[in-house]
Amino acid sequence: MKQNEISSKINKIDRELLVLLQERMGLALRSKKFQETYDDVQSEENVLERVNRMNLDLVKSSFSRQLLKTIIDESKRLQDEDRQLVAFQGEHGAYGEVASRKLVPNGAYIPCLEFIDVFRGVEDGHFDLGVVPVENSLEGAVTQVNDLLTTTALKVIGEVKVVVNHCLLATEATDYREIRVVYSHPQALAQCRDFLMRNKLEPRPYYDTAGAAKMLARENPKAAAAIASALCGELYDLEIIKEGIEDGPSNSTRFLLLSRDASTAKRDKTSIIFAVAHEAGQLYGVLQLFAEANINLTRISSMPLRSDPSNYSFFLDFEGSEEDASVADVLQKMSQMTIALKNLGSYPAYKGEA
Amino acid sequence: MKNLKLTVRETTQRTIINVADVAFGRDFVVIAGPCSIESESQILKTARAVKSAGADMLRGGAFKPRTSPYAFQGLGLRGLKLLAQAGQETGLPIITEVIDPRDVSWVAEFADVLQIGTRNMQNFSLLKEVGQSSRPVLLKRGMHSTLEEWLNCAEYILSEGNPNVILCERGIRTFEKYTRNTLDLSAVPAIKALTHLPIIIDPTHSTGRVHLIGPMSLAAVAAGADGIIVEVHHKPEEALCDADQALTPAIFADIMGRLRPLRSFMDNLPA
Repeated sequence: MKQNEISSKINKIDRELLVLLQERMGLALRSKKFQETYDDVQSEENVLERVNRMNLDLVKSSFSRQLLKTIIDESKRLQDEDRQLVAFQGEHGAYGEVASRKLVPNGAYIPCLEFIDVFRGVEDGHFDLGVVPVENSLEGAVTQVNDLLTTTALKVIGEVKVVVNHCLLATEATDYREIRVVYSHPQALAQCRDFLMRNKLEPRPYYDTAGAAKMLARENPKAAAAIASALCGELYDLEIIKEGIEDGPSNSTRFLLLSRDASTAKRDKTSIIFAVAHEAGQLYGVLQLFAEANINLTRISSMPLRSDPSNYSFFLDFEGSEEDASVADVLQKMSQMTIALKNLGSYPAYKGEA
Repeated sequence: MKNLKLTVRETTQRTIINVADVAFGRDFVVIAGPCSIESESQILKTARAVKSAGADMLRGGAFKPRTSPYAFQGLGLRGLKLLAQAGQETGLPIITEVIDPRDVSWVAEFADVLQIGTRNMQNFSLLKEVGQSSRPVLLKRGMHSTLEEWLNCAEYILSEGNPNVILCERGIRTFEKYTRNTLDLSAVPAIKALTHLPIIIDPTHSTGRVHLIGPMSLAAVAAGADGIIVEVHHKPEEALCDADQALTPAIFADIMGRLRPLRSFMDNLPA
């Protein structure tokens, strides 16, 4: 091994240690939700005891004890901070985390494998809040999430739009001229097809954009890059070779913030889901209520019912809060005209960019 | 001038190359900026200064072909990103030199125009690579090259499918030592008679002396050139390369004040 190969391996290991620490701290925060009094003293002794049994000649047990003690102390400090646990789907750095950071600036952001893990986790009290994508400006509704919304008891308490800004990321040790393969979610690869072709780069599908960035940071495969958010560049210490590499005009994804309790903020937007009987004029009748009450609809979308594919759920977002007299009146009339009506809640409308 | 099928062809139509809002071959295009990109503040300050003096495009080197391997070699990709940022902030399109065929597609991701420097004029693998790019190419004349050799290099680029070549006369080596090179102004009408491609003048490298740059810029207008490319640094005494030939923003603004009126005067002369 040459000198520069050795130092790049050391860098890689240091980076990996930090990524693992991030995961460890997230787990420590989650464990707090399971125990009333977290008995770290007991487990701390177990951990330190185990250190004595490991016999590493270069890592002295006195050093590892000290190191683990520092880590455990830091994790206790984090547990005492009482940050809100915000669950999102994907790995750290996913666009879901970008949305979570915008919605809950001082949270602890917890990655989940599936959307259902976000919903169940919040419902069961393992997380305080959940953030899920509901629609994309290019791809339309996120069906899995919309499906879960029809059955959940959670309330929508906020929304945000995140502009998708794909970045080409590589480790510092990678010479950009030697990049040949690019890992990312198939959707992200498709959105950057021209860029990849122009630069003669081979797309390699990966399960997640942030997952690809994480893999790059941990394994540092030769001649490889990833397409992911700029946040991933920060989290995994990757260099941004180029920002905004998507071919088309920028697209955005709308995320909802879910909670067990309704919003207490100043609310001016509401989301509902309903189904009507399969009879002429039923849907028209419902929409007419909104027209007559002069309520502006901001989203209308339909999805076949899982239980009865011949019938549909309608997703409706509109301006105004359920506390407004006109809205309450429409909802009251609707409940008699529909076979199912679910009020997801009222929340402050997103006023930012995108 | 045999075998220059694309560069020397019978046509009355001059090639017009559009870069953002400017058109090489129609407008008098002024490209200005530092020799190399040194830092965020240096490139931003210089970009703002040349923009307010009326420049059309921003130049700046990220990859520098230096005579000595120990001289400052440029910031590379980081420099490119800074140049792109300065271009975006000022609204000026950007041009930068590419010296390695492996860099061409990457430089094209950031720059609006690719520059081939005098030392690389006959780097044929590099010419073929930029010939496959979708970006216009500014081809500088080799410091020892004849017009025919130069046009053959343009032919390399055109024959690869890139029709957008801008020629740039930057001085040739002669017996004269007072100036860094000798500006061959006659190349402007000669090139215009021989080809349909636009040609601009580099009064900085051809003279290497600040006080000669203004007069030679005006001479370029009078000779019928399609533009100039000049080195401007917000603080020339601090420049990491070519410090003694960079214009201050004040001198540049002064030259610009005379350049545009001379061009309209020339346009109104009887044919």
